[in-house]
This record gives sequence, structure tokens and C-alpha cells, in this order.
Amino acid sequence: MPQLDLNGKSCEVDQDGFLLDPECWNEDVAKAILKHHDGPDLNEQTLAMLQFMREYYTKFHAFPILKAVCKNLHQPKDCVREQFLDPLLAWKAAGLPKPDNVFSEAVDEDHKFYRLISVQ
Amino acid sequence: MSQAPKPEELLRVSHIPPKKDWMDPRVDLVPGTWGYPGKASSLETLGLPNPREWNPTDEDWKLPPNWKEIIHEGLKERLEKYRSLKIFLDICVRCGACADKCHFFIGSGDPKNMPVLRAELLRSIYRQDFTMAGKILGTFAGGRELTEDVIKEWFYYFHQCTECRRCSLYCPYGIDTAEVTIIVRELLNLIGVNIDWILGAAANCYRTGNHLGLEPHTFKGNIEYLVDDIEEYVGVRLNPTFNRKGAEVLFIAPSGDVFADPGIFTYMGYLMLFEHIGLDYTISTYASEGGNFGLFTSQETMKRLNSKMYAEAKRLGVKWILGGECGHMWRVLHQYMDTMNGPADFLEVPKSPITGTVFDNAKSTKMVHIVEFMADLIHHGKLKLNPSRNDYLRTTWHDSCNVSRGMGMFEEPRYVLKSVCNNFFEMPENTIREQTFCCGGGTGLNAGEFEYLRMMGGMPRAFAVKHVQEKHGVNRLVNVCALDRAILPPLMDYWAPEVSVSGLTELVANALVMEGEHDRLTDLRGEDIPGMEGDE
Repeated sequence: MPQLDLNGKSCEVDQDGFLLDPECWNEDVAKAILKHHDGPDLNEQTLAMLQFMREYYTKFHAFPILKAVCKNLHQPKDCVREQFLDPLLAWKAAGLPKPDNVFSEAVDEDHKFYRLISVQ
Repeated sequence: MSQAPKPEELLRVSHIPPKKDWMDPRVDLVPGTWGYPGKASSLETLGLPNPREWNPTDEDWKLPPNWKEIIHEGLKERLEKYRSLKIFLDICVRCGACADKCHFFIGSGDPKNMPVLRAELLRSIYRQDFTMAGKILGTFAGGRELTEDVIKEWFYYFHQCTECRRCSLYCPYGIDTAEVTIIVRELLNLIGVNIDWILGAAANCYRTGNHLGLEPHTFKGNIEYLVDDIEEYVGVRLNPTFNRKGAEVLFIAPSGDVFADPGIFTYMGYLMLFEHIGLDYTISTYASEGGNFGLFTSQETMKRLNSKMYAEAKRLGVKWILGGECGHMWRVLHQYMDTMNGPADFLEVPKSPITGTVFDNAKSTKMVHIVEFMADLIHHGKLKLNPSRNDYLRTTWHDSCNVSRGMGMFEEPRYVLKSVCNNFFEMPENTIREQTFCCGGGTGLNAGEFEYLRMMGGMPRAFAVKHVQEKHGVNRLVNVCALDRAILPPLMDYWAPEVSVSGLTELVANALVMEGEHDRLTDLRGEDIPGMEGDE
């Protein structure tokens, strides 16, 4: 299995770079994943989304309704898409395992596809 | 995230046939046009044969040693069981009437996407092994030998058919290529050849009750979130019940409607409608899926998944079942349920408690489509509506294949839509009603890895939308299918940007005047309704 090595900490990841063990996550891991994908900076707002997703996953074993993330955090309605463009990147940076099932998608002006996803 | 070809590149479709003989089964797996294989864990959950990890790009597909015998026996059994299959294989005269009717052929130009040739991929094997002429004359009688390459060809091309049935409409013999696809997929499943997006969803449904794998507390939590949103946007607090024994009606929708945009707005619509009319209903966290990916797997899997709705209706002691906006769910109910799990004679013939209308058309399955139910309510003047709230929308109607061509529901949705929305424009005649074009991603082809195929296959539908967008300024594509609501948004982003997608009940609920509501300044998406400030 590939490894993600950071400042002496090592996490196992799958072939697409998703953490196998969500417990191996910390903020440095999130920053490294976001940097690798040209994602947004980790600030109070984006960190809150990742933490919400982690807590939600622990309790519900599923991807949350995206609007629910924003509403719970009192952020703009489309906050995850606005910050991360691809909700799957937020999920990955939150250290959660790769979801198997893509449910729906969006396409941007450059014809890039973004998946809004579900978890098996 | 991935980069798809630009629309102008995808538009360069050549319909000139390749030089290669069609009898040569070898295929190139073009990226973006085939699906990842079913996971061993999903097959084990469903008890399906040959669970293993494999990859379609590998030479060795790890088929069982006696795979040829399994396929041969499987086809023999099905030829005896389904007379329709034998007739469809025998009577085609290759007139070609179907050839250019398939959205995948129009979009890809690949001759094996002509329905006549797609069916011929099976027909040639049937002819070789099961007909006298084929046994003696072989290739001269149009027969082909069954080889592993044929299995690979089947895997590729029978997962490039959405079973939409547009081809069968034009066939002078009424040959139903969708049924041929259903049978071939069933045969492939006998040797463990299938795709993950179907098998994963079917396994989820078997395990948790819905395709998305939402556990009961998650399913309930999502609906409670929608209740909160309704309170915020409408000002009315609803209290839906879950698993309540003794309710009159059990309501079952596709699970996509409790998970993602824009389906969740449709689900908010269901909840508001039931509150508005005071329906005595309950929602099940066990039968939490109306869709049935068993239809894309095998008759046996379909039967098992379908049975949970009726088991739950029996357990809860309801009188009948009301079904949400779904497409293939209705193919299963309308065409297979009655002889598969039915008749459901422990339930009552559905009767609307609001209007007294008896739904005789559902007297055996005991399950009524929400659009029929709503059309009846509107016809009897039971809904208080303010259609002007939808004035910011210029709508068109996408006939979802399974409910339109599959069960003949053409007028009801249009009647409902016109009753709740003042601006409605039809797409061109040969792209609607029974001639409707598929969204390009039904039958489990909505996996991310199929995106190239979907943009090609969805092109005819998208161009018809673009036509009314340019002619009438249409900005909302309305439908009654959860897969449509997942598949059409990226298709519109790609081919007809600025056209959004919604379910019908969402627009009904936008227009519903609810008792105790506050000023409706936003729609169910929380977007400001232009011009509504202070109007009411």
C-alpha cells in the first residue's frame, strides 16, 4: 500500500490517495492533500467543513447533504462547492475513505467534472 | 475531478462504418465508455456467482472454467422460459428501421450501437448454437462461435444500452432490444461479469434498504434536515412519521431524493403535498428505496429487492403504497411485479382518501404513481395553488423513458406541470412522449467512469432542450425520475448551460399555498423568487 509521509508521521493511503484509516488524519495531512490538489488554504472556514464531515461520517457512515454542511456551520449555502470546487476533495482532505459510488456530477465552464458523491 | 473532451470535439461523430468485419468480436475499451467491475464483496452480499477482484483491461477476466457451458445452459433455459426472447431472436429481418433511433448510435457512430447490431451480438451466438441452419452452415448462416472475446464484447456493448426502448417503438415487428439487453446482462451475471455501479447499489439495497447505503438513522436524519429547510423557507413545521403501523398509505421514493440536489427539493415537495392534503401516511426506513437495480442485474435479484416494499406494507398494515418520482421503479412495478411478487392481495385497491378516486389501473400491484395521484387532486380542485410563484421559470418536460414509453404516462405530468407553472414549452415532437430521448445514463450507466459515453448518449436529448432554450428561453428541465435528476444536470452543464433540472413535485410545492405559511420569498432551494417581494 502507498504511504503518505509527513513530518515523521506515516499514513496508509489507497491508490487514489485517500486515507485508509481516518484516525491517521491531522491538520498537516489535510494541508498536504489540499496542496497536492491545488485546493484552498486550510483556514477556520475550510477546517470547519472538514471537521464537520469527519464527525458526520463517524455518526452516519455517509456523505452529508452538502447544503446541510453549510447550514450547520452557518456558512453560505453552497460553501463546499465554493471553497473546494470538488466536494470529493473536501472529503479526501478530511481523511475519509474513498466513496465507491458516484451519485451525481456537475460540469464547469472548462468541462471539468465534479462529483457529488455517496458512500457505500 | 476529470477533464472531458470539449463539446465541439464530441460533436465530430463519424457514422461511416469501420472496415473491420462486425463479426470480429474484439473491442477497444475506450476510456470513459465502460464501467469498473462489480466488487467481490457486492457479489457476496447478493449471493451472485464468481465473486473476485478483476479488471476489464486485463487479458484474463478470471471466468469460471466452465463459463461457456454456463452461458449455453443459461441461454437455453431463458429461451424456454421466455417465448418473447426466442421470437425476438428469430424474427428480425435487419430492415434497419431501428438503426438511427438509438441515442448511443447517434452520439457515438459506433455501428455496434445500432440496436439491430447490438441484438445481433447475441443473435449470432443463438443462431450458431440453437438453430439447425447455424449448426450446419455456421458463419454462412450468420452464426458466430462463443469465445471469451464475445463475452468482452457483450460486456462493452450491453453496458452501452440504457434499455430505454426507443428502438423498439420503430421496429415493425416490435422487437424489444431492451429485453435482449436484460437477458444478456443476466447471462453475464451468471459468470460474474458486471459493473460496480449496478452491483454496488443492488448490494447496498439488499443490506440497508436503499441504493445509497444510507442506514436508518441517516435516512431519517436527512429527511429531518429537509423538514428544517421547509420550516425556514415556508414557515410551516411538518412532522413526518417513520415506520408507523396502521397508517393508511406507505410512501416510498427513490433514495436519491433524500440525498443530493436537486432530488432533495422534490422530496421537500412530497412532504409539503402530504401535509397540505392531510394524508395519513408513513415513511419506511427499511423499504427506503423505490428504485430497483436488480432490474439491471437479474430477474431473481429484481424480485428480491422488489419484495421488501410489499413485506413492509404488510408489516405496517397499510392499505396501499404511494410511489415517488422514479423511472425504472415503475418499469418493475408496471411490467413485472404482478407475476413476479404479486398479486399483492393483502393490500386494498388504492383509493384516494381525498377525492375518493379508485385507481383501478393499480388494482393488482396496489401501488400508485405520485403524478397520477397529484393529477387527480388537481382535477378535483383539492390543491390551493399559486402558479405565479413559478413565473421565473420557463419549463419544458422530459418524458422519462420508463414512465412514458414504458407505462404510457404522457398527459398526467403535463397536466400537473401546466397547472402549477404558467410557462411551459414542448420540445420538438420527435423527441417527446413515446419518442422521447433517454438522458444517456439509465440502467446504472451513471458511474463517473462512463462520463464520455453519457455526454455522447445524452446529446440528442440535450440538443432538443437547447432548441427550446434558444427559441423560448427555457431555463428549467422538469422530469419524474431520480436518475434523470442525477444525470441531466451535468448533461445540461455540458450541452445547454443555464438550464437547471428539477422534479415535478418540487414545482407543485413551490406553488402550494400552505396553511400557516409565511410570505414565500424563496423557492424550495432557498433562492429568492424574482418579483415576489410583497406580492402576496
